Amino acid sequence: MSYLVLKDLEKRYTKDGNLIVNKMNLSIEKGEFIVFLGPSGCGKTTTIRMISGLEDVSGGEILIEGENILGKKPKDRGVSMIFQSYAVWPHMTVFENIAYPLKLQKLPKAEIKERVHAAAEASDITALLDRYPAQMSGGQRQRVAVARAIVIKPKLFLMDEPLSNLDAKLRVSMRTELKNIHTRENSTSIFVTHDQSEAMSLADRIVVMNKGIIEQIGTPMEVYQDSATKFVASFIGTPPTNFYEVKIEKREDGLYAIATGFEYKVPDRLVPALLPYTNKKVDLGVRPEFVGVSLEKTHSLDHLCESVIQFVEPQGTHAILITDIGGVETKIMTIDHMEIRPNTKVSLFMKNGNVMFFDIETTQRIK
Amino acid sequence: MNRLNLIQKTVMSLILSAMVITVVVPIIFFLSVSFSNDFEMNQFPKNLIPSTSVTVKVAPTEQGLYEIFYNNGEGYRSIITTANPIKLETFFNRQFAVTIPGEQLVEQFSKTKENGPMEFKLKKDMFYNFKQFFTIATKAKSALVNSILVSIYTIIISLTIGSLAGYAMARYNFKFKETINVTLLIVRMFPVVGISIPMAILLINFGLFDTLLGLAILYSIPNIALTAWITSSIFVGINKELEEASFIFGANSFHTFMKITLPLAFPALAASSMYAFLTAWNDTISALILTNQNQTLALVVYKAIGTSSSSIQYAAAGSLILIIPALVFTFIVRKYVNQMWGGVEV
Amino acid sequence: MNKKAIPYLLLLPTFIFYAVFWLTPVAAGMKEVFIDINGNFSLTENFKLMFQSELFGQSVLNTALFVAISVVLQYVLALTLAVLLSRKFKGAKTLMFISMIPMAVTPTAVAILWKTGLISDGWINSTLVTLHLIKEPISFLSADGFSALLLIILIDTWTVTPSVMIILVAGLQGMQKEFKEAAYSFGADKWRIFRDITLPMLKPSIVTSIILRLIAAIQVWAIAVMVLGYSKVPFLVERVAFYVDAVPGLETSRKLAFTLSFTTTVIVLIVSLIYLKVTKKSSAAGGKK
Repeated sequence: MSYLVLKDLEKRYTKDGNLIVNKMNLSIEKGEFIVFLGPSGCGKTTTIRMISGLEDVSGGEILIEGENILGKKPKDRGVSMIFQSYAVWPHMTVFENIAYPLKLQKLPKAEIKERVHAAAEASDITALLDRYPAQMSGGQRQRVAVARAIVIKPKLFLMDEPLSNLDAKLRVSMRTELKNIHTRENSTSIFVTHDQSEAMSLADRIVVMNKGIIEQIGTPMEVYQDSATKFVASFIGTPPTNFYEVKIEKREDGLYAIATGFEYKVPDRLVPALLPYTNKKVDLGVRPEFVGVSLEKTHSLDHLCESVIQFVEPQGTHAILITDIGGVETKIMTIDHMEIRPNTKVSLFMKNGNVMFFDIETTQRIK
Repeated sequence: MNRLNLIQKTVMSLILSAMVITVVVPIIFFLSVSFSNDFEMNQFPKNLIPSTSVTVKVAPTEQGLYEIFYNNGEGYRSIITTANPIKLETFFNRQFAVTIPGEQLVEQFSKTKENGPMEFKLKKDMFYNFKQFFTIATKAKSALVNSILVSIYTIIISLTIGSLAGYAMARYNFKFKETINVTLLIVRMFPVVGISIPMAILLINFGLFDTLLGLAILYSIPNIALTAWITSSIFVGINKELEEASFIFGANSFHTFMKITLPLAFPALAASSMYAFLTAWNDTISALILTNQNQTLALVVYKAIGTSSSSIQYAAAGSLILIIPALVFTFIVRKYVNQMWGGVEV
Repeated sequence: MNKKAIPYLLLLPTFIFYAVFWLTPVAAGMKEVFIDINGNFSLTENFKLMFQSELFGQSVLNTALFVAISVVLQYVLALTLAVLLSRKFKGAKTLMFISMIPMAVTPTAVAILWKTGLISDGWINSTLVTLHLIKEPISFLSADGFSALLLIILIDTWTVTPSVMIILVAGLQGMQKEFKEAAYSFGADKWRIFRDITLPMLKPSIVTSIILRLIAAIQVWAIAVMVLGYSKVPFLVERVAFYVDAVPGLETSRKLAFTLSFTTTVIVLIVSLIYLKVTKKSSAAGGKK
């Protein structure tokens, strides 16, 4: 039995208003670290607020360990939440902050003290127990929020963009710590973020959301390499996928994708799926690392076009080349040709036929 | 989390309804008093809405006079018997707020000579009380003008001096800053009544006794400090970079202050002006001490209460004139006041 | 222009204004207090005069009672209304404006408003009789002693509660909702949230408004005089007004007025300082955000 199940979950704020969350279906197993990933307004925060009980549900069900928890107060659901602003109470010391949930449960003083110390240690803030939040940095306050969340040993951890207010370096180090705490405490967690690299680093599975619907649920590798929709392909990965509008043409030797800037022969394995789109337009997407660069004049089978590199962004381990193909800005990631200078004419080709086609209307991947 | 169950909703509605009733009912009665004539004032129990006309029964007497009967809820009673147009006019004026000339009344009543006792419905002058107020309370009209002027002066003085001080406190760190802070706090909390009398002497020496400027100066004393406090909190909240951008583009400090900083601090200024206005508009005791001829409207109305309890409706009308500008000002500015208290710290 | 001089220049108008129009009268007033009617310097002569003056003891007692009762009463009311009105619901803004109306009404007008109600054939009695709540009209204006004080307290509460309320409302609305949500998510019910989270976090607003109220309450006089007349319910500042307005011709009037003003001022300052000290101490620990 799945640990957490969302069945046709819906949310709207006014009677005939927009659906902020649109028939979400999701199953999470015990121990998983799930990441809700998506841009602002996609409904990810609203969804975890519904799971936590802070927000009413407009339609559908939420089941924890098989039990429908709708109507139950947050405390009775066994969930714990870390807020984006941390919500660490300024008029209480760190100790009092962490102890508060236990105080509400009317636990004996000795037990409270013990558990607070344990949680503080897990979050590495034992030295700060007597301080007030105003005397602490953002990162320290975040740890207090974490300690407070784990002290009640919840069934489910909900984290609403907990790292967004930290500076870049701290964000990366806290990322690892959060994952460690998750593993140590044997918890099940849902982590909300708009940062795709964060999602990729942390998740067991990523739930990619956009405008209230789930675009794809999958492991990091799955959403990266096997993107289910155009949105997922464009949202995941840095630099993002390059997209071109192409027309599928049938020629004697196979199918061709015709774009303003190039003509590309569709790889054999994709022909059956694309056949129905003959003479129609589709979206072709190719990731920067799958665009090959060659300084030679000869053209391979996978040749795309010739192009002049406009900008070069060296990254140390690789370089990002920026150019224009048929009016579309294209970013290319290269390791072999890091020394290329701007204004160099090169020849571009597809590597390994690693392209993705998407239906223009449904945005679904054609496969 | 924010949903209320039925009991909580009911309690909340009860409390809020009670609040509305407590605020609105007295005001409605007050409005009604300011439009009531003398008879209605003496009526008991009172009607909520004053009438727009007066109904009397007139019966001709054997001596050729007219006997006027009036029903104030307990049946028609004889109230006056006369045929003298001047007496009639005065009586109807004073008691009924009916301003029809005496000759006209006699003419109307003469119909009873043919038809016997008749009922007459006479139109009441709804603004009678207000006119009476301006007549009885000497200098009421000029007092109104005075109040407006004093309030404006106070706002100008307080906001100008106060916002400069507020800006200094917000943007600069300098020696004595703490001392000045505390001093402003003390001045702000200072009971104005304490210095009203010595102030009178001072103003005499300056030749400003019994002048509007003199009053405005007194009212500005706590308001400069209040404005400084309010504006400094807001200035602190305005990002310094907005001003720095202006400097880079070549504006000098004054220009930046006027064109960038001040507009951004508008809520604070609006709120400060409301408090300055209310201080000047509502004050009675300082005006009492510091003026003789040039009284403010608040003072005039205050004196009007003293004159007679039996014509209190005139004072009520006068104070209605007093209230309306204050209400309008507060209504316009209330959003800013709310913003201000949200951003300000002791 | 010397950069360092700027703040001082900005403060110069304030400084000059206060030096001329505040320090001078304050000094003059203080001087008056320590020179008796015969023109001789005396530390205590005027104070003796004041203590012996008519109704002085009563005025001190009344002022103290008034301050204590009205501040507490207004607090409870203002807090209740603030909590209710800071929620978002239809008509909340309108209701808020309605509740603010008494605050904008000039005190003189307030006095007249209530006076027209309180007279024997006034609208209060009229309504009560119409609603069959009482048989005979109550003679409010002949109230004496404590009931008269209570009457003044009630009228003052009607006028003043809104101004306390708006400060509290601003504090409540400025509070990030996540502080309350976090407590709720851990199982706190509405009362606990209010007691443990909202109220403590509202402290700065509460402190600000209490001190403003204290200062104003100690100086109450106008309502008492305009509704009931001089000397019916004596207060400190009512006595000042008495000597300035009602009996200015008495030999001792001027001195008494000065001394009373001085005493009131000192009381206000002392009370404010004590209050600030007490609250600063307890908030030394927690900051705002």
